[in-house]
Amino acid sequence: MTEPLLSVRDLKKHYPIRKGLFNRQVGAARAVDGISFDIAQGEALGLVGESGCGKSTAASSVIRLEEPTSGEVIFNGGGRESATRNPDGTHPNDVTKFDDEELMQFRRGAQMIFQDPSSSFDPRMSVGNGVGELLKVHGMSDRHRRRAIVEDLLERVGLSASDFDRYPHEFSGGQKQRIALARALVLNPDLIIADEPVSALDVSIQAEILSLINDLQDEFGLSLLFISHDMSVIRQICDRVAVMYLGEIVEIGPVEEIFTNPQHPYTEALLSSIPTPDPRASIGGIELKGTVPSPTNPPSGCRFHTRCHKVIQPDGVDIDQDDWRGVLNFREKVITGEIDIEQVRENVAAGGSGPSDSEIRAEIRREFDISETVDDADLEETLSEAMNLLLGDNAEMAGEFLSDEITTPCAETEPETTVHTPDHESACLRHEGQAAAEPNPADD
Amino acid sequence: MATEGSERFDQVDWSDISRSGRFDLSINSIGMLLTTLPVALLAVYDWQFTGRRTATFEFIGLDRTLETVDFFFIFTLLLAFWYLVLPLYQHPRMTRYYWKEFKRNRPAVVSMIWLGIVFVGGIVGPLVMSAPQQELLIAYQPPVFTSVVESTPATCVGDVMNGRCYGTWQHPLGTTNAGKDVLTMIVYGMTISMQIAFITTTIVATIGITFGTLSAYSGGWVDEIMMRFVDIILSFPTFLMFLLILYIYGGGLGMFIVVFSLFAWGGTARYVRSKSLSISEEEFIKASRISGASTYQVIRGHVVPNVASSIITQLTLLIPGFLLFEAQLAFLGVGDSSVPSWGQLISAGRSDLSYAPWIVLAPGIVLFLTILAFNFLGDALLDALNPEAEAETE
Repeated sequence: MTEPLLSVRDLKKHYPIRKGLFNRQVGAARAVDGISFDIAQGEALGLVGESGCGKSTAASSVIRLEEPTSGEVIFNGGGRESATRNPDGTHPNDVTKFDDEELMQFRRGAQMIFQDPSSSFDPRMSVGNGVGELLKVHGMSDRHRRRAIVEDLLERVGLSASDFDRYPHEFSGGQKQRIALARALVLNPDLIIADEPVSALDVSIQAEILSLINDLQDEFGLSLLFISHDMSVIRQICDRVAVMYLGEIVEIGPVEEIFTNPQHPYTEALLSSIPTPDPRASIGGIELKGTVPSPTNPPSGCRFHTRCHKVIQPDGVDIDQDDWRGVLNFREKVITGEIDIEQVRENVAAGGSGPSDSEIRAEIRREFDISETVDDADLEETLSEAMNLLLGDNAEMAGEFLSDEITTPCAETEPETTVHTPDHESACLRHEGQAAAEPNPADD
Repeated sequence: MATEGSERFDQVDWSDISRSGRFDLSINSIGMLLTTLPVALLAVYDWQFTGRRTATFEFIGLDRTLETVDFFFIFTLLLAFWYLVLPLYQHPRMTRYYWKEFKRNRPAVVSMIWLGIVFVGGIVGPLVMSAPQQELLIAYQPPVFTSVVESTPATCVGDVMNGRCYGTWQHPLGTTNAGKDVLTMIVYGMTISMQIAFITTTIVATIGITFGTLSAYSGGWVDEIMMRFVDIILSFPTFLMFLLILYIYGGGLGMFIVVFSLFAWGGTARYVRSKSLSISEEEFIKASRISGASTYQVIRGHVVPNVASSIITQLTLLIPGFLLFEAQLAFLGVGDSSVPSWGQLISAGRSDLSYAPWIVLAPGIVLFLTILAFNFLGDALLDALNPEAEAETE
């Protein structure tokens, strides 16, 4: 197996939360919580997920804009190929352990493009000097040489050499992203990390920039870590894609396979959010209910279980999947005390007559998309019992009762990685029992 | 170099390029060094080798002397030339853009012309006009086009008609109670005002920017201590301090400038700190950091230039305060009466206000116009340099 250019192992980035007089650490926001992936030479890996799932933090940790909390980032580019592990288990190419000299060299091997074209250039510096700054920082003191290189590069990204002396405010967003690309390229890196490079642009401009990235990638054999929340953009540009949810990678595999045969429910949900050109097709198949949990206190077990539409039912229960999702949502709301029974009562009363208990029950069921009766006698009884407690103003007891009575395996067991095809892995309990991933497959 | 012009980014052999180029000086710094050197040498010569009463330029036969304040003034002028005026010339596109924004504000353009007159008058005036001489015989001459009762001046330089003495072009703004020409004194006062403006701005900007960026980049308890120190500076009773120093050492113009600017940078430092904090969140700072630039390079190359353009406004608005304060102190009779400032002139004329109002009015109007001009200029600079700031306040 050829050596990957970049190999990230169990990367974590936790932001400490401090409180009190002595700044005691009371917890941590686990923005990135143990992700692993490889990028081969010339390959484009997409990193996809919704806002706040830690994509950008992952990027800035990989490039050491921020110090990762733990984990390894092994970069085998820039003349550091085929290094072997030290006897003590550390890797000589581990970016997180680089000293200043090595880090400087790493900067020439990996560069980044940012999301917001309007703030990614110094408004007081001509774009030519902004791009040439990198050459200067790396010791090229010959001003004319810098200018020649930058002018050539500006032409390559579709601008003209005379743009060298212009200032950022004179360019459009798309042009600025071209310049950003020039800036990322100027040190001739092996890897470019693009953090949502087109999400701030018009769709027509997006396509131009994407094809430019594609061309440059082919021409210079670049590897690409492409971060986006937009699956359709990923499909255009990436060879493989990693799906992130709340600081973890839930599924990783070749783009075509992920698109045709998604294994993780979250990936399915993301894919169903891509608009299709068919006007008769129903818009969006899967709607994720519930709020995104906070990375400070991620859900136990599988982190996606609070919103998963395919959440597993315990042994012996077999009801309609939508009902089950509704029941779990109901349980969650009762436990957190977010159901205000008085409020429900008032809402029902606003519809006309004084609310009877049965009307309120029906209203709650409607709210959570639970059918009139669920197909499981025990479960139905538990539900009625909980609602009785709620109606009797015993919200706390109802919560305790529900958390004892209703459980899902997803909340209890952390899913292992399952290998579907050699390159396609996902982490979902529904695949438990299929071939489990061998530990750290690319660690050889 | 044969390959020049066809140079490509992917053909650079980085192992060839040494890191020695980090300390190469810009043309601005070289110019600054070259021009500061003779001034510094002259200052040392003046300080060590000439007597206290000997004029600085006696060695070439000129009866002209330079005080410490003058040396500082020349230094700040050189700074302004190499790092403010020359960059505007070096970056014509940016200059044109600023000018386009700036000239939309008509009062500011007029203000700038007025300040230009004051500036040139302050620099050139003392070189071409001899210092005002005391001549009691021609005291209280009225300004040109006006007349006073014949008995007011000792002798009337101009025509006397119907018992009234008319002003002449010899003394366009009249003379003082000591017979000094008011126009000459106003021109000499321009030098003082420009010295105050330039030196205080330099001191405040230097300390403010250094302190503010250091504080922002240190963070933690260093930041905390530095900012509490700023609180102390801001709440310090500068006037009492000045009186105390005046009592112990005696005060000249230099003392005034030093004391007041050393206690005036608090607001600037605070502003610079918050501005640097917000700038360091921008993506171009991140981009610069992942390019491998050191913290010093990032601050010097991106944070300071961006902060500087936004504190120019604040500094411009600080100057009128100093000018007014100097005038107030002079009016109160606190300060060096040998300094020919506008305030001293106003103070000298206040007892003659009833029959020779021009002695107070002429410098008073000039002072008023100058302060107004600085305020207009500050506003316009805010709009020209910081279009976002304008959008935020609206």
